[in-house]
Amino acid sequence: MKNGKKLAGTLAIPVIVFAACLLISSAQGIVLFDSLLSWTTFVRAAANTVLVTFALSINLNSGRFDFSIGSIALLSSVISSMITLKTGAGPLAMLVLSVFFGCLLGLLSGLLYVTVKLPPIIVSLAVALFYEGFAFTLTGGHGVTLAGNAEILGFGTIPNYLLVILTALVFMVIVYDHTRFGYEYKALLSGQKVSVSTGINEVKNAVLCYVIAGGLMGAQGFISATNNGSITMALNFGSISVMFLAFLPMFVGGFIGRFTNDKLGYLLGALSMAVISLIYVRLNVSSSYQQIISAVLMVSFLIYLNNEGRLKQIFRH
Amino acid sequence: MKSVKKFFALCLSLLMVFTLTACSQESGGGSSDDPSQKTVKIGVLVSDTTSAEALAFKAYYEKYIQSVYNVEFMYSDELKDASAEQSAIDNFIANNCQAIISFASADRPAQIEKCESEGIYYAVATGTLTDEQYEKYKGYAHYVGAIGPDLAAEYQAGYDMAKHFLDQGYTKFGMFTGASVYYTEMHIYRAAGMLAAMCEAGKGTYEGAEGMAIVGKIMGEGGNVNPGKIGSVEVNGVVAGYDFDDAWYGKLTAVANDPNVEVLLAVGSGQVAFAGFKPEGKMLGDIDCYTADSVGLMEKGTLNYLAGKFSASIGPVFAATLSAVYGKPVRDNDGNALALSQGYWVADNAEDAKKYYEVDSSTTEPAYTKEMLDTLIGASYDDFAKFVAAYSFEEIQK
Repeated sequence: MKNGKKLAGTLAIPVIVFAACLLISSAQGIVLFDSLLSWTTFVRAAANTVLVTFALSINLNSGRFDFSIGSIALLSSVISSMITLKTGAGPLAMLVLSVFFGCLLGLLSGLLYVTVKLPPIIVSLAVALFYEGFAFTLTGGHGVTLAGNAEILGFGTIPNYLLVILTALVFMVIVYDHTRFGYEYKALLSGQKVSVSTGINEVKNAVLCYVIAGGLMGAQGFISATNNGSITMALNFGSISVMFLAFLPMFVGGFIGRFTNDKLGYLLGALSMAVISLIYVRLNVSSSYQQIISAVLMVSFLIYLNNEGRLKQIFRH
Repeated sequence: MKSVKKFFALCLSLLMVFTLTACSQESGGGSSDDPSQKTVKIGVLVSDTTSAEALAFKAYYEKYIQSVYNVEFMYSDELKDASAEQSAIDNFIANNCQAIISFASADRPAQIEKCESEGIYYAVATGTLTDEQYEKYKGYAHYVGAIGPDLAAEYQAGYDMAKHFLDQGYTKFGMFTGASVYYTEMHIYRAAGMLAAMCEAGKGTYEGAEGMAIVGKIMGEGGNVNPGKIGSVEVNGVVAGYDFDDAWYGKLTAVANDPNVEVLLAVGSGQVAFAGFKPEGKMLGDIDCYTADSVGLMEKGTLNYLAGKFSASIGPVFAATLSAVYGKPVRDNDGNALALSQGYWVADNAEDAKKYYEVDSSTTEPAYTKEMLDTLIGASYDDFAKFVAAYSFEEIQK
């Protein structure tokens, strides 16, 4: 019975979202998953979303609002693609480089935060501006074009995206649930003062969190670049928008996390978002409607979370 | 002792007076009769700082014009709305700019009114005013004018691009209409031009409209172009906006890979919108500008048609602005400001694109050199108009 409740709680939101999307699309006379392209669109969106959600959640759960994750994805993919194009290396090398530079940029961001001791929101805004400007200068503002490079663009297949999703999930579960670093991270979440007094090094933990978030965003930057065929520049906080991709799946994941592992919750939240993205594509929903729908979904979910107790009481009576 | 102090103070005062006089002469710079001896500060309002086109324009002003004329350009940040434009103008005024060249169009009337009231020359680059706006502002003393593709030229650019592929027998199209959904007229007119060409070739109408009437049809649909049949021609997929999210890229991928689409037409940014997803064998046409990347894409066969603004096309509007600052505004016989249209350089093969790009990207011998622009300082309206009208690559190279 307990397991049944857990399973129901875990799957409720994704199942409802999938069912609603299938219902809406069939009411419009459209098959949601009609071709390989639809599946690719769905899996790619899931990969993008889950990576950003993991990256955002790492620091946000610890109360560190990190606005720089989008700029890390931008700069790491710019550097890795420039090296790859120059050396003629393949997509795997570009992925490894992108993750490496993502970790490095995350490390710099984390070190800056623990050194200057300013609120993370301010530090991350400064870092975002710096990384955006650096990427702009590196490319002369023109960005990077990968269009026509069949080998690199060829990465965008369903098995590759699934492999990235699975790797990220396994990595997150192992690092945050089965290592000393992960236990310390959780201890710091539940009470920083007590944890530090027991000997946990909160500075080291925070820096490592930035490194991991950076690496995940490096992978996300790579997926974006190889899918889009180009990396367009962003200035004046233009890279921040990628964060908004992760808010709803993070809230959904947090809810699902009550019933199962929270990382699996984030993944299920990302899958729910991905199917919503797919229905936007299949029904060719205009961007203005998309924004309205996404905002309504998020606000409704937050209203539900805030009034959950009251709702339960109402239904009990 | 007291008198020594007084003498010392007097000496210091005199030294200060002489120093200040010398400084003021220095900043005035040489003969006061020749205006070209004084550095003219020009503010540039921009709403886009990252597109290839914006970068090319900036390079022409900063790397070429600034090196050959005694001018200094001061660029605004990326301006997103009318209030940001007003703040940027205030900033230019505070920095002693004598003129403003505007690439930003959130609220052009407000820009013109502000510059007129502040006594600063104002010109519109790469665009034009509407007929109503021109009628209102053409007599303003500080309104220099507008030089750039007018809406008829934008319509024609779209028409020519679609016709290029229709003439080759293609009948199934996918479209990217960019900022049409944000009511950007330039993109709406280009899209309307494409549809008008399809109406002619397919012997049909776009939802009952043809020719310029299609503009109204698109406006009435919230800037959206709807897929459908136009006689024997088919528009089988349309994407708009610049969302850069998973759904947006998904829509672009779906249109690019639709087996019922032979040709992808973009009102702009086609190299970002479609080039990465386009399967081999499909055609891609774009209205943008010439860059190393676009030439590379044409060489690979990814991009098959490009109508591009050339970076030096903003040379004449600079010359008109400088002429006004020098006290020789270019006006027609009725004293009205400039309103001139320019067109695009069109390449349908890599050789032409390469040739255009080589000239366009040159910082020593661009399409419009100082010698050519000098002929416009103090020129008559007719001579100016004649110069601007000869915009094709071949005419300029002559």
